[in-house]
Amino acid sequence: MENKSVVIQMQPSPNNEGRSLIQNKKKWTSIFNRNSEWRGKIWIYGSAIVVILSVIAITLFLTVQGLRSFVVDHINVIDFITGTEWYPDRAENPSYGALPFIFGSLTVTILAAILAAPFAIGSALFMTELAPKWGQKVLQPVIEILVGIPSVVYGFIGLSVIVPFMRTHVGGSGFSLLSGALVVGVMILPTITSISADAVRAVSHDLRQASYALGATKWQTIYRVVIPAAKSTLLTAIVLGMARAFGEALAVQMVIGNARNLPNAISDPSATLTTIITLSMGHSTTGSVLNDVLWSLGLVLLIISYGFILLIRFISRRGQIS
Amino acid sequence: MNQVYVKQNVEESHQNMKKASPVLEVKDLNIYYGEHHAVKHITMPIEEKSITALIGPSGCGKSTFLRTINRMNDLIHGARSEGEILYGGINLLTPKVDVVQLRKEIGMVFQRPNPFPKSIYENLVLSLKFSGIRDKKKLKDIAEDCLRKAALWDEVKDRLDKSALSLSGGQQQRLCIARALALKPKVLLLDEPSSALDPISSSKIEELLLKLKEEYTIIIVTHNMQQAARIADKTAFFYQGELIEYGNTDQMFTHPAEKRTEDYISGRFG
Repeated sequence: MENKSVVIQMQPSPNNEGRSLIQNKKKWTSIFNRNSEWRGKIWIYGSAIVVILSVIAITLFLTVQGLRSFVVDHINVIDFITGTEWYPDRAENPSYGALPFIFGSLTVTILAAILAAPFAIGSALFMTELAPKWGQKVLQPVIEILVGIPSVVYGFIGLSVIVPFMRTHVGGSGFSLLSGALVVGVMILPTITSISADAVRAVSHDLRQASYALGATKWQTIYRVVIPAAKSTLLTAIVLGMARAFGEALAVQMVIGNARNLPNAISDPSATLTTIITLSMGHSTTGSVLNDVLWSLGLVLLIISYGFILLIRFISRRGQIS
Repeated sequence: MNQVYVKQNVEESHQNMKKASPVLEVKDLNIYYGEHHAVKHITMPIEEKSITALIGPSGCGKSTFLRTINRMNDLIHGARSEGEILYGGINLLTPKVDVVQLRKEIGMVFQRPNPFPKSIYENLVLSLKFSGIRDKKKLKDIAEDCLRKAALWDEVKDRLDKSALSLSGGQQQRLCIARALALKPKVLLLDEPSSALDPISSSKIEELLLKLKEEYTIIIVTHNMQQAARIADKTAFFYQGELIEYGNTDQMFTHPAEKRTEDYISGRFG
């Protein structure tokens, strides 16, 4: 009996236009079959695994490299984070205080967000609420162009326009935190604008109707109904813009002045984590203390970037509850 | 069909001499969406402190008509209207009318409950804040008053600061009605207010409307014939943009003057 049933299972059923109810077990041949379920699965699962693995690998690598300066070179972590003296190349008594760069990075990021967010959200509202037809038609390409301009071009424009402007109108050399924030602010404008526009568009039409039916003006509807309803996504847009500003190196480096001390005012030259890494990496040799502390700066960058991601998660989750 | 209305109106005035003059007087109203002629030559008076039901199959123009009364159709691109809707001697369709003030006089409730994603209290007072009322005490009093009128006070009085989205669909819709009452409108427009609700919530809304008609003029669009029969004083039957028949609800449901009305009411089409 048993034998017979096995035989039946192995045979594709003869009727039903060649269809078989028994699964095809020969998987290796199905890799050449375009419709194969299995081949599709391998591709999709494979891509997901590669992406996840590369993120883990980058994090691990950066952590291992970044911790070298503390473990191998015996630099005190607290001194590294809170120290304000950055003289890694001094022959005697070198010091590794990264605070000016952490401060510079955060200040440029926050200033850029403060400068860019009102314009970005304003233009997002313009293209969605006020002039959805032609506003969209004009602003969308403008935003795409802003995204497409290479950062070196932004830096170059900043260097030849903003820096001289600051020199004559604000004083000092013109290379400053403020110049950096202005350049980066323009760079993150499209990011914040496009996500904000999506957020505003996602606000239900019913809510706008409700508001107008209650005798609200257009501005009252935008200010009291649309913006509050889109609030969490708008905040996410700003934080995403900040994450981008935080990672920007080249354009900032060209206008910020790259001073290694803590700035006293936003019109003073300064440096950020990214600019100091790009400036110094070329001069360091692998395994040297300088090289190790640069990796540590990279690790700090990564940790703060993760902080931004956590912040976005937190904001969007809070938005879902209310 | 004008004759039909005139005839009935005469009969009515014989029956009921004390009827007040109409609060809204619609005269030869035409509404277009671009080239599409959505509402054709509507003439009807709407009586004060009564419920007028607008019935008819989907796409017959009844919602369009309703949305024209408080000029919500202005928000739709390509919509325009001709004719007159007289309210207090003013033609509401003239460009000179301040639509913001108009919508405070003529409130509206929509098919889907659409509370703002804010607290219950905020939902009620937002319209007052639009009008510039800041006095906390006054806001609170009005909010309570509106909730009582909408028969919602007992259900929500302990959680006014909770999100309006935490309410059930029926409660949300009553909140929307309460919200519309905050501005002390004269007229209340309801666009299928209970079609998205379960029968119990629906009957609560009906009860509420019957109570509210003592103070407000109510115009309701409904797909539910029984609902119209239960609550409306007057019923208007729309078909393909035309007002086929308009008269007392009782009479219309028992002895419709038009064949098409009878067919629709008895469920032969629509």
